[in-house]
Amino acid sequence: MQGALRKGLVGWRVPVVGVSVLAVVGWVLFLGASLVFPKLAPVFWVQFAIDLFVLTLFGLSLNLLMGYGGMVSFGHAAYYALGAYASALLVKKAGLPMPLAFVLGPFFAAGGAMVFGFFAVRLTAIYFAMLTLAFSQIVFAVVFKWTKFTGGDDGIQGVWPIKALAAPPVSDNYYYFSLGVVLVCALLLYLIVNSPFGYTLRAIRENPRRAEMAGVNVRLHQWVAFVIAGFFAGVAGSLFVFFQGSVNPDYAGVARSTDPLIVALLGGMHNYLGPAVGALLYKIIFFYVGRQFPFLWQLIVGIILLGVILLFPGGIMGAITERRWRRLPFGRRKGVPTVAPGEVETPTGSSVGGGNGGR
Amino acid sequence: MAGDKVIFACKGLSKAFGGLRAVDGVDLEVREGELRALIGPNGAGKSTFFNLVTGQLRRDRGEVYFNGHRIDGLAPYQVMRKGIARTFQITSTFRRLTALENVQVALFVHHQRHLNPLALFVPGHKSMAEQALHLLEQVGLADSAHKPAGVLSYGDQKRLELAIALASEPRLLLLDEPTAGMAPTERREAMALIARIARERGLTLLFTEHDMDVVFGYAERITVMHQGKVLVEGLPEEVRASPEVQRVYLGEHG
Repeated sequence: MQGALRKGLVGWRVPVVGVSVLAVVGWVLFLGASLVFPKLAPVFWVQFAIDLFVLTLFGLSLNLLMGYGGMVSFGHAAYYALGAYASALLVKKAGLPMPLAFVLGPFFAAGGAMVFGFFAVRLTAIYFAMLTLAFSQIVFAVVFKWTKFTGGDDGIQGVWPIKALAAPPVSDNYYYFSLGVVLVCALLLYLIVNSPFGYTLRAIRENPRRAEMAGVNVRLHQWVAFVIAGFFAGVAGSLFVFFQGSVNPDYAGVARSTDPLIVALLGGMHNYLGPAVGALLYKIIFFYVGRQFPFLWQLIVGIILLGVILLFPGGIMGAITERRWRRLPFGRRKGVPTVAPGEVETPTGSSVGGGNGGR
Repeated sequence: MAGDKVIFACKGLSKAFGGLRAVDGVDLEVREGELRALIGPNGAGKSTFFNLVTGQLRRDRGEVYFNGHRIDGLAPYQVMRKGIARTFQITSTFRRLTALENVQVALFVHHQRHLNPLALFVPGHKSMAEQALHLLEQVGLADSAHKPAGVLSYGDQKRLELAIALASEPRLLLLDEPTAGMAPTERREAMALIARIARERGLTLLFTEHDMDVVFGYAERITVMHQGKVLVEGLPEEVRASPEVQRVYLGEHG
């Protein structure tokens, strides 16, 4: 039963309860490597890693909505920016110490998600996506135009963390801080998506009408998920602002909203760690290709995304867990088999595990 | 068997789509523990009636009572929480969740775990797994517990739907064509299972069905709808003997 359970939708379970030796070994190696990393790597790569951690958390937070909730948001940067601006303003205008501002920032993001999400969950599919985009544009417009308060186009500069975490150009301590925050948040999100709340959210993704008929207040559930996702996007934003030392309207820009989308699609949105893998890949591609050919960057990302979506609709993690490479090239989309009335289909079992990108 | 208590009633329930009166002043009373069939030709308004009762459609007029409470005007999830469960004519499950998870979710909701912050950090795949497995056993689906619902055969998906519905410990079960799309032998089995579970649990059953063998084999009372109205209601033999019913059915099938 355990084995069969593990083959379930998420495929890869973090060894909270020690289910897989391989996973434990993997995590130990990962943690060990991340701890010694800043001691060995040049500053540039330490910065790279912090950037990666933030993007990972941002992607994971979106994937709560997208992968688990079936709600594709085109405006997740709104909450990232709200967290970032709130933290920056709390330091600069309210004179709060950095740790307090850092902790409070995400709650402003969650507040924003509460207001916007209230309306957004009333819509579905493309209308939901467009409304989330509109909300992020509102945030962008406000921080862009409200020059006196938010600094307008220039944003807010000199938002540095406390001394213990800051030493130019970047301190190892901020690296460890980011690593810790992202790991804790990732663990929380992991627990959430695998809790009864998370399973109910997946059920809504699969079939909202059926979920409602099982007694779920679908909108309320989606709203709660939206607020949680907004909160963790806010953590990512707050983390980033103290890393950059500044915030500007780009934090709420469309490009910032597409980052977590791309990351989740690349890595695989039906796998918990998909966005993390996607973030790593995205950053590496950017480093080796995007920086050399900045004018081609968007094109490159577009082509890669196209390839992933056509060949590996479940993203990298989907391809691994589904062994999808065996069906190359341009295999028919083999999502969940559709079962016509009266037709008995032999279940193939294993191939369905691990999540697929059918939709 | 049916008691004296009326558990479900509606009065003058009506719904029009433009000029079409899909459900037109339906009065209905169902007693606790009763197995009631709702039949009628295609387009008689049976599914619309179900959707009105469950709150998926907004009624134009009329009242619906369940267990002494007025339930018209409630949202579907609120209706369900009063103790009504339904299945759909076209199977409706959570396709990429396993059969077990399908039932678990229904249990989470029924036991209010799905939004309980304290349950937020409980591993969902373990929570209420035993109860879910027990329900799957009852509908004969325990062997498929870890298969995604989407790969189950049609008949098994219907069984799964039943297990999902039972998870909420309903007192009234609305089944929209529980045997549609099944082979004849499968139908008999499925309906026998439903009837057995209903009797064991003292469930009240209101089901629509096109298979007359199933209807006359299991229903204790039958309500016949035609063009949105209740045409006849009575015991199976009364309905069978009714000239109006014969006219409606023969008229349609030529």
